Formats: sequence, C-alpha cells, structure tokens
Amino acid sequence: MDPILTTNILNVVYEVSTLAVVVLGLAVVFGLLGVMNLAHGEFVMIGAYCAFFVQTQSLPFLAAVPVALLVCIVLGLAVERILVRPLYARPFDTLLATWGLSMLLREGVEAVYGRGFKSVAVPLTDSIDVLGADYPSYRLLLAAVSIALVAGLVWWFVRSATGRRIRAVVNNRELAGSVGIPVTALARNTFIFGCCLAALAGVMLAPLLPVNPTLGLDFILKSFFVLVVGGLGSLVGLISGAGVIGGVESIVSAFLDRTYGYTTVLVIAILFLWLRPNGLFPRT
Amino acid sequence: MASFLGHSAALIAALAVLPQLVGEFWAYTLALYFLYAIASLGIGLCWGQAGFLPLGQAMFFGLAAYLSGLSLIHFKDSWLLLLLLPGAALAPGLLAYGIGLLVFRGRTLSGPFFAMITLALTLLAFQIANSWNDVTGGFNGLKNIPGLPGLSDFTDLYYISAVALAVCLLAIAWLRRAPAGVLWRAVAQNEQRVRFCGFAVQNVKAAVFGLSGVLAGIGGALYAPQQNLVTPQLCGFLLSADLVIWAAVGGRATLYGPVVGAVLIGILTADLRDEISYWEVILAAIFIVVVLYFRQGLMGFVEPLFERLSRRRAGRTLDSPARPQATGDTGFALDDVRVRMGSVSILEGLDLAIDRPGIYCLIGPNGAGKTSCFNAMTGELPVRSGHIRIFGNTRTGAGADLLSRIGVGRKFQAPSLFPDLTVAENFNIGLWGGRARLRDLLRMDSHGWTSAILREAQARFPFLADEDRRAGDLSHGQRQILELVMVLIAEPRLILLDEPSAGLSQTETQEVIDAIRWVSGRHNACTVIVEHDMTFVRELADRIFVLHQGRLLASGTVAEVQADERVRAVYVGASA
Amino acid sequence: MLKNLNPISRRRFVAGALGSGAAVAAPAVLTGAQAAGELKMATFYALSGPGSLFGPTQTACTKLAVDEINAGGGIGGRKVTVIPSDGGAPPAEAAKAAIRLMLRDKVDIVVGSHDSAVREAIVAALKGRVPYVYTPLYEGGECNPNVYVTADTPQQQVQPSITWLAKTLGAKTYYLIGNDYVWPRKTNEQAKKYIAAAGGKVVGEEYVPLGAPNKFEDAVTRIKAKNPDLVVITLVGGDNINFNRTFAGFGLDKSIKRISYLLEEQTLAGIGDKSSNGLYSAMSYFENEKSAANAKFKAAYRKAAGAKAPPLAMIGVDTYGGINCAKALIEKAGGTDAAKLMAAANNLQYRTPTGTGVMTNRHVVKDMYLAECKGTSFDIVETFKAVAHGQTCS
Repeated sequence: MDPILTTNILNVVYEVSTLAVVVLGLAVVFGLLGVMNLAHGEFVMIGAYCAFFVQTQSLPFLAAVPVALLVCIVLGLAVERILVRPLYARPFDTLLATWGLSMLLREGVEAVYGRGFKSVAVPLTDSIDVLGADYPSYRLLLAAVSIALVAGLVWWFVRSATGRRIRAVVNNRELAGSVGIPVTALARNTFIFGCCLAALAGVMLAPLLPVNPTLGLDFILKSFFVLVVGGLGSLVGLISGAGVIGGVESIVSAFLDRTYGYTTVLVIAILFLWLRPNGLFPRT
Repeated sequence: MASFLGHSAALIAALAVLPQLVGEFWAYTLALYFLYAIASLGIGLCWGQAGFLPLGQAMFFGLAAYLSGLSLIHFKDSWLLLLLLPGAALAPGLLAYGIGLLVFRGRTLSGPFFAMITLALTLLAFQIANSWNDVTGGFNGLKNIPGLPGLSDFTDLYYISAVALAVCLLAIAWLRRAPAGVLWRAVAQNEQRVRFCGFAVQNVKAAVFGLSGVLAGIGGALYAPQQNLVTPQLCGFLLSADLVIWAAVGGRATLYGPVVGAVLIGILTADLRDEISYWEVILAAIFIVVVLYFRQGLMGFVEPLFERLSRRRAGRTLDSPARPQATGDTGFALDDVRVRMGSVSILEGLDLAIDRPGIYCLIGPNGAGKTSCFNAMTGELPVRSGHIRIFGNTRTGAGADLLSRIGVGRKFQAPSLFPDLTVAENFNIGLWGGRARLRDLLRMDSHGWTSAILREAQARFPFLADEDRRAGDLSHGQRQILELVMVLIAEPRLILLDEPSAGLSQTETQEVIDAIRWVSGRHNACTVIVEHDMTFVRELADRIFVLHQGRLLASGTVAEVQADERVRAVYVGASA
Repeated sequence: MLKNLNPISRRRFVAGALGSGAAVAAPAVLTGAQAAGELKMATFYALSGPGSLFGPTQTACTKLAVDEINAGGGIGGRKVTVIPSDGGAPPAEAAKAAIRLMLRDKVDIVVGSHDSAVREAIVAALKGRVPYVYTPLYEGGECNPNVYVTADTPQQQVQPSITWLAKTLGAKTYYLIGNDYVWPRKTNEQAKKYIAAAGGKVVGEEYVPLGAPNKFEDAVTRIKAKNPDLVVITLVGGDNINFNRTFAGFGLDKSIKRISYLLEEQTLAGIGDKSSNGLYSAMSYFENEKSAANAKFKAAYRKAAGAKAPPLAMIGVDTYGGINCAKALIEKAGGTDAAKLMAAANNLQYRTPTGTGVMTNRHVVKDMYLAECKGTSFDIVETFKAVAHGQTCS
C-alpha cells in the first residue's frame, strides 16, 4: 500500500478515536442528565495541565493519570452539586451556567499558569513501521488506548449492573426512580465520570498539543458537532459522527484547504441541527 | 398613554443632557456601548419575551457593520448612503427573519437546538469574514472607513447613538405593551396553546428574531462609521456571548435590562480589565450567580414596581371584529387513518364521520386512541395513511393554527393556558386568534376587545370577571373553565374537548355542561368530547362513538351503545 | 503584571472608573490637566488575548527603557510617565482606550506592540493627532501620517534569509504553510519572489484559518509526500507550536529543514527541544545575539527586572527600541508637532538593544539575524547588515 495513503488512514483513525473519548464523556452526561456541559472542553484542558504539572514535579508521565482523576472527581462533585443539579429542568440555564463555568475554569487556570504555551514531552519519541509507513509510536499507542477505552466502556455499559441502571434512567427517569434506582447519585457519578473521561483525554493528548488555557474550546465545539451529526443513540452514532466530522474535514482540507474544511464542518453541523436535530442514529 | 409620553420625555431628556454632564470622552464611550446595547435589546426580545435564546447575535451586528463599512468606503459622500445605510441595518433583519422561518418551521420545541444553530452560524460568519480577504479585508478587517458625512465631533457621534437607542427603546416599550408583546410572552409560555388559538407560532418567532436582527443591524450599521474599522471579531462568538451576558445580568425580561447590562458591565470591564487581573474570573462568577439565582437580573428588581404602578387596564369596550364566516360542510370525517409511534400502532385504520351539528362523545378504555384521534385531526401526530376531511376539505396533517383559523377549537386534558399572563391576557389571545390582523396586534385598542360569548361566560362564571389575576393562581377547576372559555370565544364550528370535567366539582361540572350546550346550540357547532364520566356523557351526548385498539368499535345513542355486546366485552375486560 | 510599573498610572485608572464624577465636578480640570514638564507616553501591549504571553516582556523592557531615559534627564528635559493600556483587547476597545488617552489624559505619544487589527483601530482613532510608534514585526504598508514603524517587514525577514538558505543548504524545493491572513500572505509573496530568484521551486502552499482548532497531521502528511527541501512557516502562536511538534513527531525534522518567520524564544519553548531540529528563524533580535550592545542591554535588563525577569524575546524587546525611537524623534523635532515629527523621522537614528536603528520612510533600516534552533535556544548563524525595509511611505 502507498505509505502516504497508509499515513492518511492512520491519521483519521488517530483523530477519530481520540475525539471519540472526549465525545463519549459529553454524550453520557447529555444522555443521562440532559445537560449539554459546555465546560467539558475545560476538563480536557485541566487534564492537559495535570500532565504539565507532573512534568514540572519530575514525576513520570503516567503519574498524571491519578492526579487528573483526583482533580476532576473533586471538581466534578462540586460542579454537579452547585451548578448542574439545581438546573436540571432548565436547559437554557444549564447551557449558560456551564458556559459561565468554562469561562471561570479558563480564567482560573490562566491566573495560575498564565497564558503562555506549555510543552509536555512526548513519552515515546520513536516511530513504528506500519505497512511501509513510518508512524509515530505515541500516536499509535494513543489510538489503540482510545479504542480500547471506548470499547471497554461500551462493553461495561451493556454488561454491568450500573450500566443497565444508567440506561434505565436514560430511557425513563421517573420510572427508574420509582423502581428504586438511586437516580440522584447515579446522575452525580455519571457527571463526574464524564469529567474524568475528558481529563483522561487531556492527559493523553497533552504531549501532542500546545497546552494553554483556551485549548478546551476546540474540543467542545468539535465534540458538540460530533454529537449533532451522530445523534445520541448509540456507539455507532458516536463513531459515525466522529467519522463524518473528522473525515469530511480531512478530505475537504486535502482537496481544497483547511479553511474550506473547517467551513464545511460548520455547514454540516448547521444542516444537521436544522434538518436532523437527532442526528444519524437517533435515540429510540 | 400619558405614562408612555412621560416616560419617553424623561428618557429623551436624560440622554440629551448626559454629554454635558460627563464630558467628551465619556460621551464617546457611552456612544459605543449604546450601539452594543441596541443589539442586546434584541436578545431581550427573543429571550426575555418570546422565550428562545439566540447565541449568535454578533453575526447580525457584524454583517451590518461590514455592509455599512463597505457602503461608506465605496459611496463616500454620495446620496446613495441615504439608502445604503438603512439597508445595512435592515439586511440582517431580513436574514434573521429568513433563518427564523426556516428553523422554526414545523418545529414546536426548538429551544437549545435553535441556540446552538445560531452559535454555529456565528462561527461560520466569523470564518467567512476572516477568510474572504477580497471583500472583508480578512483578519485585519475593513480599515479607514469614513465617518458619517458632516459629523466629526465625538459629541455628534454620541447624539447619533443616543437617538438610535432612544428610538429603539421607545419602539420596544410600545411593542411590549401592545398585543404583539402579549403574544410573544404567550409564545414563551405555551407555544401549543398559541397555535391552537390560530397563530402561526413560527411566523411570530421569526418576526421577533427578525426584529432582533434589525436591532443588531442598527447597532452594527452605526458602529462602522463611529469606529472607522470593522474586524471579524464583530461577527464572532465572544461578542455574541457578551451580548447575552449583558442581557442576562441587566435583566432579560425587562425593558431597560439589556441597556443597563451593556452600559454598566461594558464600562466596568473596559476600565477594570487593566486594573483587576481577576476581573474576567469575577465576571464569570457574577454571570453564573445570575443564571442560578437571579434570573430576572438587576433591572428585574426595579422595573416590575414601575410597571405595576403604571399598568392600568382599560375596560373592554370594543366589540371584536367578527370572525370571517367559514364556508363548507359541517363536521369531519376520518377515513382509514393509521398512526404509529416507533413500533407501537396507535390508530389502526380509524373510520369516524360526523356530518351534522350536535354533541358527540368519544369513549373507550385507556389506550383506545381517543386523544390520539384528536392529535391526528389537529396535526399533532403524523398520519401514516388515510385521510382526514374537516368541513368538507381534506386537512390531513394540517397544522393546529390553520385549523383554528377555519374554526376548529380544542381543549386539552390538562389545562393548557398561559399561567404567567393575566386572565385578561389569556382571553385576549383567544379573541385575537383568527380575528386580529397585524395592524390590530400593534394597536393598544385591541386590549379592549370583547365579544358576546366573553360577556356571557363572565356572567356564568363570575370568577372570570376578575381579569387582573394571574391565570396560574386559579384553582385547577377554574383553569379548566378558563381554557374552555378561551376555546369557545374563538367561536369554533368544530369543538374538540378532552375530558372537560376532569377535576371539577359537581356544581362546576354542571356549569360546564350548560356552557357547552349553550355554545354548541348557539353556533350550530359540532362538539366532540372525550369523556370517562358516564353521567356527563349521558346528559350531553346526542350520539356516542366507542373506540377500541385504534379502531371504531361501535356507535349510536347511549342506550344503543350500552346494549352492544362488543362494548360490554371491552369494558368488562378493561374496567370492572 | 502591571502593578508596579508606575504608581501614577494606577491612580489614573481609578480616576478613570470614577471619571464621570470628576468630570461633572470640574470639566475644566481635564483640559488643564497637562502638567508642564511631564511627558505622557501611552503604551498598548497585549495584556489579554492570545498575545498576552508577550505582555510581561513588553512591560519590563518598557520600564527599563523609561527608567534609563528618566535617569538621563527624560525626553527633551521632560520626565516620562507611562500609561499602560491593553493592546490585546478587541480593536473597538483599543480604539476607545486610545480616544480616552488622547482626550482625557492628553498623552504626548503612543507606543504599541500588538496585532495589525488593533493598529488600524488606534490609527483610525488618533487620526494623526498624536504620534504613534508601532514596534513588532508586521506585513508592511503602514504609511498613515504621524505613524512611525520600527517593526521588521517581510522584505527584511525574507529576502536575506531565503537567499542564504537557498545557497547554504542548497534548497531547491519549498513548501509554504501559514495562517490565512494578511501577514502570512504578504510574507509569502516576498518569499516566492526570492525563491524564484534563487532558482528554487514552490511545491506546495497552504493556509489554515487563524483562530480555528487546527490540526496538522494532514498538512504534515502532504509535506511528507512532496518531500521539499525547506518548509517556510508563517503560522503564529499555538498553530506554530502545534505544527512544528507534529512535524517532528512524524520524523520529518530528520530530512527537511524549516524556517519560521514568527519564532522567538517563547514560542520555541512551547515547541520544545525534541521538535526544533533543523528549524530556523529570522528576526532583528535574538537573546543570543553576541554584540557588546546586547550584552549591555541584557545585563541592564537582568539588573532591573530581577531574578524572575520575563524571558527576553523579539516580541517584547521591540518596545525598548520603540521607546528610544520616540525619544530620538521628539528630541530631534523639538516637540510633538506632527509636521516637525514627520520631518524629523527622515534619517533619524535611535538606540536599539543591539545597536542603532536608522529610520527612512518612517520604517527602519536594521540588522537582521538568521538563527538555527539548538534545543530551546537560538544559535545565530548569519548576520545581515543594514537590511532595507522595502517600504515607500512619503
């Protein structure tokens, strides 16, 4: 196979799979709580700063994982209690409140670390030969971990008791509450879980990004578009959404240029919001 | 009227003397924030009045600024500017109206989706402004835009902005008090009821959105000559967001809220951002607190007091115009109608025809398809196959607003009205529906409309005469009756009533029965009632239709139906 | 970050917030506020927004220049007071601040280091009534009256560096990548001219939107496919970092050289030592420049700004030259009269961190440096003396 084509395919796999981890967190929270958490991207940003923090403490890269989880559990707990829970039935207000939160987190991190770009060293710097194409091994590993993470979580949703409860609440909140599922606790844990997933993605991506306070904005927009296109129904929807958004941008960018690629993504998102607000694979 | 004039005079006087008080620099600064405030007023209309949140108003502001900037650059000192500049302000309004029509069409609950569409559109607008170098100047923008001909002084610019703001404020103050404003607030509370009163809600919302586009356009069109520079940020998300924050903190539902928010926060930010390094954090926190706890915003504390003081309702002295006399047959016919929801079949080839005036009852066990039958007839449920004829014309899938205008009224099982509006305003929506022309919606006189049915209803139900009460403060039974009267004052020829006696006391039930009989008889209407209460059915029904599993099981007089073996079998099986 | 810059300016800001009250009491005070002897200098630096990582350096270098000037008796005998404003704000905010500074504070001169959109806004607000010195690097073409540009132009950055790289590296094929706005496009216009002159060929040219969530895997893959000798980068800020890290991540740094035209010490720190192999930069200042003047400048800076001094980098250090240019200009013109300043600008000489700048056509003929990245620092490989700015302002 042509090494350039292989590289392009691997690029798409890498982009789609890492995006899927971020989107999964957003989708679970939206599905269960009906809350579009506009601060989701900021949790990715916080994860990335955790990676930077452990680097400044001369700790190994993987130490960022427990640090990020700890930070996000505490933050998620507070945010759910103070911001999200009082606003369950007020969709505009949650949109605005979480967006206010995103400003707060962004400005807060800026107050601590400043505006400047931080650089996190890539843990694996060599590359691997894949069908004749040299591909950076850290990216391959990241794609593999992302796919495993998404697959594992989906398997867990389908199989575990907690997963069944979550799906029950998603289907019918009142009914689930009346049959003894602790809806409030489940909602809280799900919110925290979504935040942790975002942070985890942030840790993993930190070595490949210019770490700065506004990094989350990119993710929230893209993740949101993925949800819009894919719908909230299923993993298939999520992956096809990520595929459409990531794929269309890459293809249009390859044939025209990046400006058109980005514009096309926006137009697709608008068309979906308008004509198919439930996406390609709506929840039944 | 007197209070409106007094209010206007005070506003104009305050704006006129301000520059003398604060000096040239602050006059200049205020002028800029006045322009933002005008755009923010549009958010107040959409979000505070009509109940939908636009997150992309900057796209209209920016569009107008670019159009106005280009006009000024290419037609400097030409008389064409007299056409082009107003055009630049109006174009975003047309765009907004168009977007509104497309997005709101056939969508009842567009809430967050609408907000997100406008957000995506503003990102797109930024992208276009940022990369269309030949026209917009790209990232660096349109530069060296000439000022307005003949105006150079900073105080001149202030007066231009101040006049624009005053005109916009007065226009909005008028609209808020006019029937149009009542209609907007009604849309925010209960779109379904507005549609069933005969209004095309998507047109109402699109008009509000269009108006907000004009407001943003006025701000943008004046921005270009004032700043002499237009950059893509003017279309961007951040300005859109700022406009929303200003409206929220100032008080989105109040007249002055968006202006107070824009001017106060804008000026504080401009001065404090250099002084307090945590200013942005503080602002974010204030915004969150407002969203969580003070949804009415700053002016929400002040304005209602004045509104209450100044609100004096004139009596109902004007007979409403007669509804256009509907032509065509009486009654309706359902022919093999099928409705499915997902994998569940709801109507399984329902045939039902009524062709003469009278009172008919629709009965059947739970899940028989009674309410679904109403929903299919009024376009609330998509019909997969079959035909629905109303008054002799095919109306399969017709929307509730059209049906209401041709004479179909519907009362819902749970009272569907406008809880935060007064009883008077609830009546008025019912009266205006199908009768008021656009002109009437802009005239204060229309508040004083009345009709024979309304007078009669108020005589029958004395609590309805206390029209200043909030509809939401009425008891459940009273709300049932209020909704019924709202349906009846539209003088429908086909009346669909879904359990009108649910939750009523014995006396109230009797009164409702009398009222239904009276209206039915008076207008030669065809009344169809879904009812469980058999005493009610026995007393009222000329004829009964029994539905079972989405089909017509039996029909006839009360006695005939009660004698029917199949009906007995169903009822024994369903409720012992 | 500005808190200790100047206590007077701080009070002035408080007055600003309460200004309406003060003005009500005594509008006349405002017109007579200009204390004799004091020279008020307004500065516009990026205190917020994406450029604000340069703010601390801009502020510290300004403080150094102003302290030196005041220690030497001020400008034409007048002590300099600095009134800082945010050049990272949206253009309308910056314009508003400029009007405030002009009308209320009656500043004598404005110095700015920020993007071109803000410059346009300030120029439009001042309308030549107050002299304005613009200092960072930019796309050229600013010829408005009473505006003095000490910035690097594309001609200065590109011509010598491309010619040198073509000759020394033997580069034949070039790939151009930049953000989609006027500076990269103007810079690449120059680049294509000099690439053609050096007998090279452009094999690819692409622009990515500014301010969009850009990723560079596809661009790097395209570059890999074209396999050029040199990649000419006109990406800015985060995109510049992201691109270069992705480029090296895919191992292209081993075989393909790069030159970036907005790459100073702070951006290089973001790119990191693992991704800077074979990367060049061309500007009028690098901290590692070895001249005696720079050594003296650096020593003075460290002494003034202390141990925690913000890093020295082109965007930031530019203000030191700009302020010295303002001093030379006002002293030569004998005041701040616009016509006299415009006349004085011709062949004006002023002090820069690395020596002397010479102003013609209200732009500056200056020495340019080409540096190769070694880890996270620059190694100057060539100095180009007195490079023409290519601007024709009259």
